[in-house]
Amino acid sequence: MTLFHFGNCFALAYFPYFITYKCSGLSEYNAFWRCVQAGATYLFVQLCKMLFLATFFPTWEGGAGVYDFVGEFMKATVDLADLLGLHLVMSRNAGKGEYKIMVAAMGWATAELVMSRCIPLWVGARGIEFDWKYIQMSFDSNISLVHYIAMAAVVWMFTRYDLPKSFRLPVTVLLGLCVYKAFLMECLDCTAKAILTFYCFNTFM
Amino acid sequence: MFEEASEVFDNMFKSSFPLTFIVFIPAVLILVSPLPAEAAHEFTVYRMQQYDLQGQPYGTRNAILNTEARTVEAEVLSRRCVIMRLVDFSYERYQKALRQSAGAVVIILPKNMSTMPQDIVQQFMELEPEMLATETIVPVYFALEDDELLSIYTQTLTSSSSQGSSSAAEVLIHTATANGFQMVTSGAQSKAVSDWSITSLEGRLAGTGGEDLPTIVLVAHYDSFGVAPWLSYGADSNGSGVSMLLELARLFSRLYTYKRTHAGYNLLFFVSGGGKFNYQGTKRWLEDNLDHTDSSLLQDNVAFVLCLDTLGNGDSLHLHVSKPPKEGTPQYALLKELETVVSSQYPEVKFSMVHKKINLADDTLAWEHERFGIRRLPAFTLSHLNSHREAQRSSIMDVRSVSPSSRHGAGEHPAGPHVDLRKLSRNTKLIAEALARVIYNLTEKGAPGDLQIFTEQMQVQEEQLSSVVDWLTAQPRAAQLVDKDSSVVSTLEYHLGRYLKDVRRHYVKADKRDPEFVFYDQLKQTMNAYRVKPAIFDLLLAVCIAAYLGVIYLAIQHFGVLYSLVRRITAPKTKQH
Repeated sequence: MTLFHFGNCFALAYFPYFITYKCSGLSEYNAFWRCVQAGATYLFVQLCKMLFLATFFPTWEGGAGVYDFVGEFMKATVDLADLLGLHLVMSRNAGKGEYKIMVAAMGWATAELVMSRCIPLWVGARGIEFDWKYIQMSFDSNISLVHYIAMAAVVWMFTRYDLPKSFRLPVTVLLGLCVYKAFLMECLDCTAKAILTFYCFNTFM
Repeated sequence: MFEEASEVFDNMFKSSFPLTFIVFIPAVLILVSPLPAEAAHEFTVYRMQQYDLQGQPYGTRNAILNTEARTVEAEVLSRRCVIMRLVDFSYERYQKALRQSAGAVVIILPKNMSTMPQDIVQQFMELEPEMLATETIVPVYFALEDDELLSIYTQTLTSSSSQGSSSAAEVLIHTATANGFQMVTSGAQSKAVSDWSITSLEGRLAGTGGEDLPTIVLVAHYDSFGVAPWLSYGADSNGSGVSMLLELARLFSRLYTYKRTHAGYNLLFFVSGGGKFNYQGTKRWLEDNLDHTDSSLLQDNVAFVLCLDTLGNGDSLHLHVSKPPKEGTPQYALLKELETVVSSQYPEVKFSMVHKKINLADDTLAWEHERFGIRRLPAFTLSHLNSHREAQRSSIMDVRSVSPSSRHGAGEHPAGPHVDLRKLSRNTKLIAEALARVIYNLTEKGAPGDLQIFTEQMQVQEEQLSSVVDWLTAQPRAAQLVDKDSSVVSTLEYHLGRYLKDVRRHYVKADKRDPEFVFYDQLKQTMNAYRVKPAIFDLLLAVCIAAYLGVIYLAIQHFGVLYSLVRRITAPKTKQH
């Protein structure tokens, strides 16, 4: 039944993409190859990011428990390249706003799905051992689809000159969140842990 | 459980934040919380014996298994791996598992067997030969317990015992949350080992005073036996015999270095292998020495052969003979000297002679002296055991020492078989004194019964005995595991070489066409316990995913409706501006 389990995870991961592609009207515009180009751009951007990170950020030798805020902040800043990549894809596609957003997001998210989730699922979900993390990974990919659509939309909004002034700030904040969300989560996590240990320490002392 | 939950949280937060909060966390908490998540657990398992002796197969015939785990309480046991703990083990349960054609049996032994209570040890010791006598096609494995294995066992126990008694809703929840375990061994099928050679060692101390001196042969077999070869340490049987032999070799070689104490007897020491498999080493040695060589110490004047078997405990000594010694023979002299030494120096020891005729119709010979008896050499075996059928001669429970908590009160029968060093050294001194009295003819020369020879510089060194027994019981010495390059053999050879001359190895290989013994491999395996979900779970999951996809499809198809709904909710705020 483990191939069945792999089938379950595969369906959970891929079908929403398929449904989105079919039902959002992209198929009418023959957008398949444009999505593939967006995917290629994703690959290129990831490669550049990796090279950049590897070259300019040596492994940090410090204590194990302390979190290197500055280092991680700089690393998170590199994720700005994601936004630039999305912008590049969208600017190369002529068409309506929604079309551009959807094409960019679909291509980007599909490339990420294929690259980062295909092999773990194939290798792991087919084994004898059962682990909840494969279901979680597949569900994750659904959420990242929505996330990339939102990110592409925010990037598009940022580049529009006719955006009302009142929307500028929220859009910028959202963009920042997109880039730094992992970093912010780590910060919150660390501060929560520190507060908790401090509190426990005080309670028991 | 908390590490697992926080790991899940970390992964979620790194990818997409708000949606996971609303949608995923409740689902994850429900699904992850009931049981601590278990990954695959790898552990070493030791297989039950598998061998053929004189064409008769014994033990388990199979080695591979790839089956789901259950405990004995489950209703359906066929083609499943039945896990039992030693404390719950009983022969009826074992038979029940075999009757229902279980796929395998795994018995979990406690890590420290010396802490087991006496009655369980006794019961298991008695069951070992019965388990081996019935030839089973089902692989039987023994595993040493650790925390993970114990938790696997308890989880299997709860799921096995709750199988027939719950409602449909409970069954559904059970399939989603329960953990089944799949036990898989990594080795191949067991096959016969060809060309296995059993090694034996001999050494001698030559007597003084001319040719044709009488020879005294001292024999002990060094291998051990138990229901699982890798777990048989054989402390008392026969680690005690080997250590006593080495100590006697040391003492007499010291005596023989001085001209005044160099006696007129040749002493031949033989450490035999394959003893638990009907004394194969001794049998071939005798054939080689008596049939195939022209001159050998064994062909000429043999005074007697003394076999040492299981002497590390107990307050009794039995001299097992196949023919009561006639008066005037050296055997009779030894018998009398033993009685003298016991009565005058060790009154607490009960000494007796046990006469048992050699029964050639039996499957296996009783004691090692019977091999010599068949070849018309006068021989006896000394042991603290009364009968050769005692379970502790071939048990994995025969360990170096038992913890005091598992013993009964002082004065009662002691706990499981083990070596008591004081008794071993007392027995060694006893036998050494008796032998010296025979060799130097002390009774005829009028020496009193309580004359002690081995005192002060010549005394029995307890530390030496202790270190030899400790070393012997540090590794399993089953005949299938000790080949000619083994460290046991080479260390014994070295030790014998320190005291004796002409230390030689002797090899036994089974005959090609009609083998007396056949050993099989794959005795130690690595078993993996994989966490698996029942088959219904996959179907359930497929149904859930199909429902989820249907909802997504509908949501996307009617996205306009959703959008206008959202606008209507947020619109009143903007209208107020």
